[in-house]
Amino acid sequence: MNNLRVLLVDDEIMIREGFKRLFDWAAHGCEVVGEAADGMEALARIDALNPDIVIMDINIPIMNGLKVIGLSRIKHPDTAFIIVSGYDDFSYCREALRLQITDYILKPVNYEEFGTCIDNLKISMFHRKNEQKAEPQEERTIVSVTRYMQEHLAEEISLSVLAEEFHLSPQYISQLFKSEIGVGFLSYLTSIRMEKAKKLLLSTALSIAEVSEQSGYGDYRVFTKTFKKSEGVTPSQYRRDFLEDSGKSKA
Amino acid sequence: MLRMEIALFLVLAFVAFIYFSAEKKHTTLHRTFSVLLIVVLFHLVFDGITVYTVNHLETVPRLLNDAFHRLFIGTMILIFYLFYRYIAILVENETGKPDRLRLPARIYLVFAELGDMLLPIHYAVTPQGNYSDGIHVVFCYLSVAFYFLLGAGLLLKNLKDINKKARMAIGIACLVELIGTLLQGIHHTWLISGMGITLITLAFYLILENPDILRAELTEQKMSMLYLKSQVNPHFLYNTLDTIRIQAQLNGDGKVAELLMQLVDFFRMSIKVDRPMVTLDDEMELLEAYMELMCYRYPELRCECDIDPDLGGAQVPNFILQPIVENSLLHGLKNKGYRGEVKISAQRTPQGCMEICVRDSGSGFADGKKAEIDEMLRTYDRQAPKLTGNSIGVLNVQKRIKLLCGREYGLSYTENEAGGITAHILLPLEGETK
Repeated sequence: MNNLRVLLVDDEIMIREGFKRLFDWAAHGCEVVGEAADGMEALARIDALNPDIVIMDINIPIMNGLKVIGLSRIKHPDTAFIIVSGYDDFSYCREALRLQITDYILKPVNYEEFGTCIDNLKISMFHRKNEQKAEPQEERTIVSVTRYMQEHLAEEISLSVLAEEFHLSPQYISQLFKSEIGVGFLSYLTSIRMEKAKKLLLSTALSIAEVSEQSGYGDYRVFTKTFKKSEGVTPSQYRRDFLEDSGKSKA
Repeated sequence: MLRMEIALFLVLAFVAFIYFSAEKKHTTLHRTFSVLLIVVLFHLVFDGITVYTVNHLETVPRLLNDAFHRLFIGTMILIFYLFYRYIAILVENETGKPDRLRLPARIYLVFAELGDMLLPIHYAVTPQGNYSDGIHVVFCYLSVAFYFLLGAGLLLKNLKDINKKARMAIGIACLVELIGTLLQGIHHTWLISGMGITLITLAFYLILENPDILRAELTEQKMSMLYLKSQVNPHFLYNTLDTIRIQAQLNGDGKVAELLMQLVDFFRMSIKVDRPMVTLDDEMELLEAYMELMCYRYPELRCECDIDPDLGGAQVPNFILQPIVENSLLHGLKNKGYRGEVKISAQRTPQGCMEICVRDSGSGFADGKKAEIDEMLRTYDRQAPKLTGNSIGVLNVQKRIKLLCGREYGLSYTENEAGGITAHILLPLEGETK
């Protein structure tokens, strides 16, 4: 898997330095290829470098980050934009969602959580790639493994369970995740469990404990903690925010 | 006629009492009105005396009669000057344009007062009653007319720039001056000048100088000052703290970076106090950020939370848990050197309510303190709100729960068998049934 190329956009040098030096880009299969301090520079850099990921602050000089994304979107449909902002203003979030950004992270950035964000990005890239290849010639191992995981989410899944199922060594499967998707086995598992939980929270009326169980978490406390860490809100908050929001748009 | 003067005097004396005992801002406008009130009161006294003396020309010595008459007219001219000044200041405040006629108005005042003192007074005696006429009175009419024209001119010139209330007050003043003077000019014996002056003063008082309005303005001003003091632009705060945090982490100090992160979290959440009710999740988030900072400062302090996950969406009054926990820390665990534990739990009661417990392993209640607190929480509605000190306090929490959720809910304390106390917060569970 090739390194993902990253462009950092923030008007504060300290924030860019922090991103560059405090987050282990190499460990997450990424590489910072450029920086920009204002909207115009960002626009030029995106065109020149065609990065895979742009880390974007909203409140930057000359042209705000959302506008830059809006203008770059057409020319660079595959670029992933991650917004990092100090504003948790709803109108910004809505505008950002409209621009199909990958993620919206609030400052101050927790570099550990930022890793999860990059992992999720890779996983969704992997899933998209699989969907595009419509004809299943000879299915690759990793695809079968991930499909098996999707189908058995409520059960206990571990490397050894997978190893038994597919008659492979646990080490090999672990290697497979790293090389094919670019994230560790556990990160992948957590990510798809969270996706499942989110789907259940929004489309069913199951209690939190039931959602927790169906997503593969025996202890709802662990589930709530993991969910909070990955989504920034608790499961019940997540469900409520969505319901309130759809209530608002209906009204 | 004397009775009318006494009635007017009493009315204005009452107004003056209310006005001077109320809290107000000290602006030129209000100072002018204060002077006006006092001069009008004096004027009404002289008015009453003059009404008596002018009708008893034979018995009252001429010199005394003249002296009171001159005082009566003198204060009247001063009053009309003050009316004009009041209007001018009002217009000046509204439009920001300085009053260019201030000096002529003042010079005319000196001129008019001199005239009042020096010109000869002549009394006309009629069967309906006596009054003064001749040059002295004509001069007095002229003065009133002069200030009336200045006031009316100011009103007309700035009609568009001043607000409705000021326009109304000035309009009433000019109208009363005009009608009063005309009537007095036709019926010399009516002696209604006192009534006109009282009406104008009352109009100013009721429309512009009402203590309720002034107090509201003052409170608003104080509040906005407080607001400004408490609100540094939050984004400035976040961004600066974040820069410091990154620098700390670049310097390899992960612990400082983590603490700054917690602090920013706490600030971010605590400025969202604009809603009366929030979800239990939001409330717990704020509390956890607070507890993590406290636990770092006091390493032997431990905190445990056990919240029924399905209660996370329940609505609770904003900012009720942090004051309770803070209370447990400051009054219970502090005495034990912050060694101990705070346990926060929330569960559904068999009656379908929600109970939140904050249990600490602190020093417990001192002798008699339990009864005192119980009494305070029971008679919460008779307790004056306490705004001093740094914490919101349990009384405030109790009041808000009772107000927002109903009288059957609220806060109570029990003593633990193993030492320490437990705060029980009983709340309704409406958010769940919806």
